[in-house]
Amino acid sequence: MVLASIVVLFHVVTSVILAWLYFRRYTMTRPPIGVFNLGDVAVMLVMVILVPLLYLMLPIWMVIVLLTLAGLSILYFTWEPVLKSSWFIWLVTLVLAGADLFTALAPDINPVWFLAINNIVMLISVVGVTNLWAQSGMKARHAAILGAALAVYDLIATSLLPLMNDLFARLDGLPFAPTIAWPINAAGPWLGIGLGDLVLTAVFPLVMRKAFGRMAGIFAMAFGLGAIGLLILSVLFGFVEIFPVMVVLGPLMVCQYAYWIQRRPERTTWQYLQAEPTK
Amino acid sequence: MFESAFAQLRYAASVLFAVPFDLRSLDRLVDGILATKQEFGSLGADSAEFLGGPELDEETRRDVQIRRFRKQAVRAAEETDYYSSQFTTLGVDPSRLTFEDIARIPVTPKKALLNNPDAFVRRGSNPAFRTTTTGTTGKPTSVYFTAREIQATGLLAAISFLQSGQITPEDIVQISTSSRATLGNTCFSQAVQRIGAVWYQTGLVDPAQALALLSESHHLPGKKNRASFLNTYASYLGELVECGLNSGYSPKDFGVDHISVGGEIVTEGLKRRCRKLFGSVEFIQSYAMTETWPFGATFCEEGHLHFEPSQGLLEIVDPDTAQPGKPGQTGTMVVTPFAPYREASVVLRYDTEDLVQPVFGPLGCSLKHWTATTDLLGKLRLAIRTANGWVYPRQIREALESLEEVPLPARCGFWAIEGGVAVEVAVRKIDSSIRNRIGQSLEERGVPVCELYLEEDPSQLQHQLPLRCDLREILFERSVIKL
Repeated sequence: MVLASIVVLFHVVTSVILAWLYFRRYTMTRPPIGVFNLGDVAVMLVMVILVPLLYLMLPIWMVIVLLTLAGLSILYFTWEPVLKSSWFIWLVTLVLAGADLFTALAPDINPVWFLAINNIVMLISVVGVTNLWAQSGMKARHAAILGAALAVYDLIATSLLPLMNDLFARLDGLPFAPTIAWPINAAGPWLGIGLGDLVLTAVFPLVMRKAFGRMAGIFAMAFGLGAIGLLILSVLFGFVEIFPVMVVLGPLMVCQYAYWIQRRPERTTWQYLQAEPTK
Repeated sequence: MFESAFAQLRYAASVLFAVPFDLRSLDRLVDGILATKQEFGSLGADSAEFLGGPELDEETRRDVQIRRFRKQAVRAAEETDYYSSQFTTLGVDPSRLTFEDIARIPVTPKKALLNNPDAFVRRGSNPAFRTTTTGTTGKPTSVYFTAREIQATGLLAAISFLQSGQITPEDIVQISTSSRATLGNTCFSQAVQRIGAVWYQTGLVDPAQALALLSESHHLPGKKNRASFLNTYASYLGELVECGLNSGYSPKDFGVDHISVGGEIVTEGLKRRCRKLFGSVEFIQSYAMTETWPFGATFCEEGHLHFEPSQGLLEIVDPDTAQPGKPGQTGTMVVTPFAPYREASVVLRYDTEDLVQPVFGPLGCSLKHWTATTDLLGKLRLAIRTANGWVYPRQIREALESLEEVPLPARCGFWAIEGGVAVEVAVRKIDSSIRNRIGQSLEERGVPVCELYLEEDPSQLQHQLPLRCDLREILFERSVIKL
């Protein structure tokens, strides 16, 4: 249990820090026209509600196809500004995706190998997705609204309904399963955190830094990681077994946004880059 | 982002498949561009390619153009009075036209549209707006447009201005064109308004009044503190320059950073002298005419006129044979605007009477994948054919406006005489050195000038070329010019 806690926390911390460093160092290709706006938040919420249901309803092979396609595209655009050369990007993407698929689907492979590979793939995915959102103009306000709405959704879907439990049970062991997890013991139960929770934890420091400055971003990172650390400790000491993470993260995001917006106006990406040019 | 993505897809569908533009999508595209510029300070890397149309190779371009020409020809034959009788007489099936067949369709002369504009309106198209040309070349010509066409053109213009960064929400735009130029004024002002800039129409008033408005200080929230964009004709700009410099204005009195100038031949001399008054402004030159609106041309950095091939077909036709001109040969532009840019009044192979020379590749300019010509040489009916070749209005204007001794705009005329041409021009003061300089300037531009007449009083000129600045609009009260 302790090892699982350390492994999961390590991946969480690493993904948040890597997303932060990536944000300062690499520029993703953004659409020629368009900025992340409230309409996108609404679309994302609809997707958050519909996609789990879809994963529960579709045949398993179709779920694997969908997860693989999504995983491949996320890996590709995450590596794009880092590796630059098209064939090298594809090579790294296909090696990672191939390893994930192989360890998930091949018989007689120790599931720990799959979890190790999948955790790395999910970690990279978090870096890519959070940067895509933040670099597409997502504002701290949007992230706070999304966090608040997801807090309500998470409470319903995780605590009041068996939806999340059923979903994780269905996706368990599938390639590109959207969790970072590690087995608690050889019998099979594992400790994990959903990709969605991790994405919100990692994106908020980026948009807060962009909106209000470095200090706001560091506070957001500290609060997010601190909250997840406390939740993992709660699991470790047996206080909870399954917990809707967004119920904690959402209000934290809203409070931080409310605090900073009273002190300074939210910056645009252009204003942020003028004030804090990247290399 | 999702909304913008759908709007971009819808826009691309119209451009690729010639289906009518969806106004809501265009509107969202404008919102998307504004939001993107506000957030990032610029559009994404591929915006120019996306908004400027795809880069087509020669074969694809011909394929796209013949399909669109057929579509427009079918509409013309089936839905307009003018072309239905023409196609019947020709015995040509418009739906089976090949590129080579296009030359079999007679060019549409200005006179046909002038005499019966209603005959060019498609049945069921619901025209809402009749515009007329300003009539500098005679009786005004009328063209009909639907309300949707006008709105779409305004939005497309807004997209183009935003994409190029020529007009931003901070701008204050002065429109100094004829108040009767309703088509250009309506579409341009709609575009400016949609961008969020401020605009006002001065008309072709006393230049002193227009200059007073241009130099006026403003304290509008979020706007520049002086008029920053001027839209006008070449000759009126010349009047402004002349009046401004004579009245003691200098660049520090203005905040103009862009001047959109057109409607007439724009000379290098005019632009050079204009910078003395307004400082280092960027000139925006384009080519458009009411009859073929909104299919027009954009100037590239190398001075070519470029026509976007999916918007219409440009042919350069030998004025003597009415057949396609040979490389390097001067011809008149014959233009067919395509759907979805043109919906109500259809014109096929409209003879603009504007002379140009085709430019062939390989080109090195930023618009190299669009059809290219030289800059306008002038109207065919104003050009003179001599034993040694043509003399174009551009040659005369370039030669005269490059000289400080000739007041702007150059008021001049020219006509054929034995051995070449005679030129008359209004100058500040007549003396022999000026005569020599003008003669030399004309010769340097290849004008076979045999007789040169100088006048200090422009009203004494016998063959003066028409100028749009003479469509003067009067005021009750004269402004006080700043000295």
